[in-house]
Amino acid sequence: MSNGKARDIWGEPVRTSASARFDRLGLKEEDLHRLLYYLKLCRYFDERMEMLYRQGRLPGAIYSGRGQEGTHVGTGFALRREDVFLGTHRDLSVQLTKGLELKRVMAQFWGRVDGYTRGRDGNSHVGSFAAAGTFAVVSMLPDSYPVACGWALAFKRRGEERVAVAMCGEGATSNGRWHESLNLSSIHRLPAVWIVNNNQWAYSTPNRLEFSVPSVAVRAEAYGMPGIRVDGTDVLEVYEAVGDAVERARSGEGPSLIESVSLRWKGHAGHDPARYVPREMLDDYMGNRDPVKRLQDLLMSEGAVSEADAGALDERVKKEFDEAHDFAQRSPLPSGEDVTRGLWTEDGYWDSDPRGDGRTE
Amino acid sequence: MTTEGDTSVERGAERSPEVPQASPEEAAKDEAGAAGHGAEPRGKRSAEGEATFLVAIAEAMWEEMERDDSVFLMGQDIGVYGGAFKVTEGFLDRFGPERVMDTPICEETIIGTAIGAALAGMRPIAELQYADFIANGFDELVNVAGKHHYRVGERVPLVVRGPSGGGVRASSFHSQNPEPWFAHTPGLKVVVPAFPTDAKGLLKAAVRDDNPVVFFEHKWIYRRIRETVPDDPDFTVPIGRADVKREGVDVSVISYGAMVHKALEAASDLEDSGISVEVLDLRTIWPLDTAAILRTVEKTGRAVVLYESHRAFGVGAEVSAVLAEDGFDLLDAPVVRLAPPNVPVPFSPPLEDAYLPQVEDIVDAVDKLSKW
Repeated sequence: MSNGKARDIWGEPVRTSASARFDRLGLKEEDLHRLLYYLKLCRYFDERMEMLYRQGRLPGAIYSGRGQEGTHVGTGFALRREDVFLGTHRDLSVQLTKGLELKRVMAQFWGRVDGYTRGRDGNSHVGSFAAAGTFAVVSMLPDSYPVACGWALAFKRRGEERVAVAMCGEGATSNGRWHESLNLSSIHRLPAVWIVNNNQWAYSTPNRLEFSVPSVAVRAEAYGMPGIRVDGTDVLEVYEAVGDAVERARSGEGPSLIESVSLRWKGHAGHDPARYVPREMLDDYMGNRDPVKRLQDLLMSEGAVSEADAGALDERVKKEFDEAHDFAQRSPLPSGEDVTRGLWTEDGYWDSDPRGDGRTE
Repeated sequence: MTTEGDTSVERGAERSPEVPQASPEEAAKDEAGAAGHGAEPRGKRSAEGEATFLVAIAEAMWEEMERDDSVFLMGQDIGVYGGAFKVTEGFLDRFGPERVMDTPICEETIIGTAIGAALAGMRPIAELQYADFIANGFDELVNVAGKHHYRVGERVPLVVRGPSGGGVRASSFHSQNPEPWFAHTPGLKVVVPAFPTDAKGLLKAAVRDDNPVVFFEHKWIYRRIRETVPDDPDFTVPIGRADVKREGVDVSVISYGAMVHKALEAASDLEDSGISVEVLDLRTIWPLDTAAILRTVEKTGRAVVLYESHRAFGVGAEVSAVLAEDGFDLLDAPVVRLAPPNVPVPFSPPLEDAYLPQVEDIVDAVDKLSKW
């Protein structure tokens, strides 16, 4: 890793602990730029969508993942295209990092035919195995966990070197199917990785009212798998932990549990001012543990990213957002006549071109 | 020693109640080892070549597993033990533990895992030890399996099957008829056959269907009804088609599951009184064969809707509504519903007998209606 700042007395670059870490993680400069790009994209998307929601220009709901981008982008970045990800409404940033197209996600929010669900579902209840290897989010949590078991089972049975990665919040870990899934995956050594985005608040309920163990990660022992708790505001720490767990699963050694801790900066959904979160806690996380700023500062201090680079990335994500937003507004709304179509596979609706009949708004 | 003992299953400290027992012939056959592990279910046919309902179901799964490597089974005690009712006896030795997968007691995760495997291109068949326990897996089935294709266009080709129904002194947790729960839910096909041939053909069709199918096997029928079943490995019965099991002209009895057999018995009794009864077996609850329902009533002008799920909001409520909306002109008399009251299935024989429609109740209802 070249280093723009730290140099020895002869002016040669010095290998810092940070650059040693990049090397250990196999992250080249272009990877670090991409990592920062996704962090910025997800942050910007989250902020702009909230603004549109507050202006009454966005129908439906929003579930901000702000403050948790380290968990999200770190996870998405550690997966291969052929791996599958099954998350929640709050984990849209993972899906964007894993490959969902921004413009089609935006069309989804506005209920348009170019959205991945063609208007049959809204907001972040999105996903596409064909497009990005991601599961269309289900509200009941963590319904994606058993479904991930099934994918992992199929991978194992067919001898494919692929991994199923599921994510839920710490709130969903109280649910029976969370425990059932960890148990089943461990019994059958399934290639699965279980990630818990502990953002410290399940809607308004704090950790201490959700579980009486010191962490979610310790529960792994009860299911005979490794468990690790990482700092979810450090994208590199998440990337490393997920990468290790994914490789472990890929090599046939079975599932792992990762608890990634950060703070949910916004409410449960757009309507929730989250006054139950102590101000000092929020100030601390926003001021000192902003995952986007953390990586940007690190890369700048290492000379891996310049002010100009960062500015260019900011411009790029703004431009991409605006283009995707325009695309969504121009995309046709579905026809009410199609309301019963697509329920059964045999009616052919999903094989048809959603814009085929030339309908417009 | 016989299949009799094997049909009971332990869930924790609870021992399941009485279930239909093997005939002495079957027991002798089992003792002789003719139907041992690794043996095809066809070997369990009677000397005359007839298959029980249970054997027909086993044949369907066996044939589909032979045909398509992506078909696999998962459920509780289906491997070494061969399933609580011995439907999967012999499967483990033939297909191995990956395709005959014993699971912990976790219905929600069994069904959810089946969904994931189906999305990944497999064709899972998830067995519930009793259909009643589908309540534990309700959410994955209703909120994920049923909605997924409509929401995203991704296929979920899975079958969830299990023994349903009462009349076997099994009380309220081992006797339910959960079909209306799922017929009401969008995106799930619901099949409840009454005859071995239909069971075999419909289960094979269910495995080949690209949609999620809920398949209920009435446990009263398992070992009581037998017939010659087709050998053609590609024999299927289309999902969504009812079948006239007895032709008649005076009154139609529209039914499904074990009640079809009661209806046929009643029809036979009524013949002596000069009343000609047509018995329509729905076979599939959803999608409902409304054309067949209207066709039989066009012929008879009178309908008794006979069903074993609870009377209010049950399958018969929908059938009656179809007749009221689309068959009003065809009717010469009001539609009569014959079904259990909306109480849990009771245990003690006089209570359960009072709960379930009996042959004499059907005879009375048809007789009255024919005079209307």
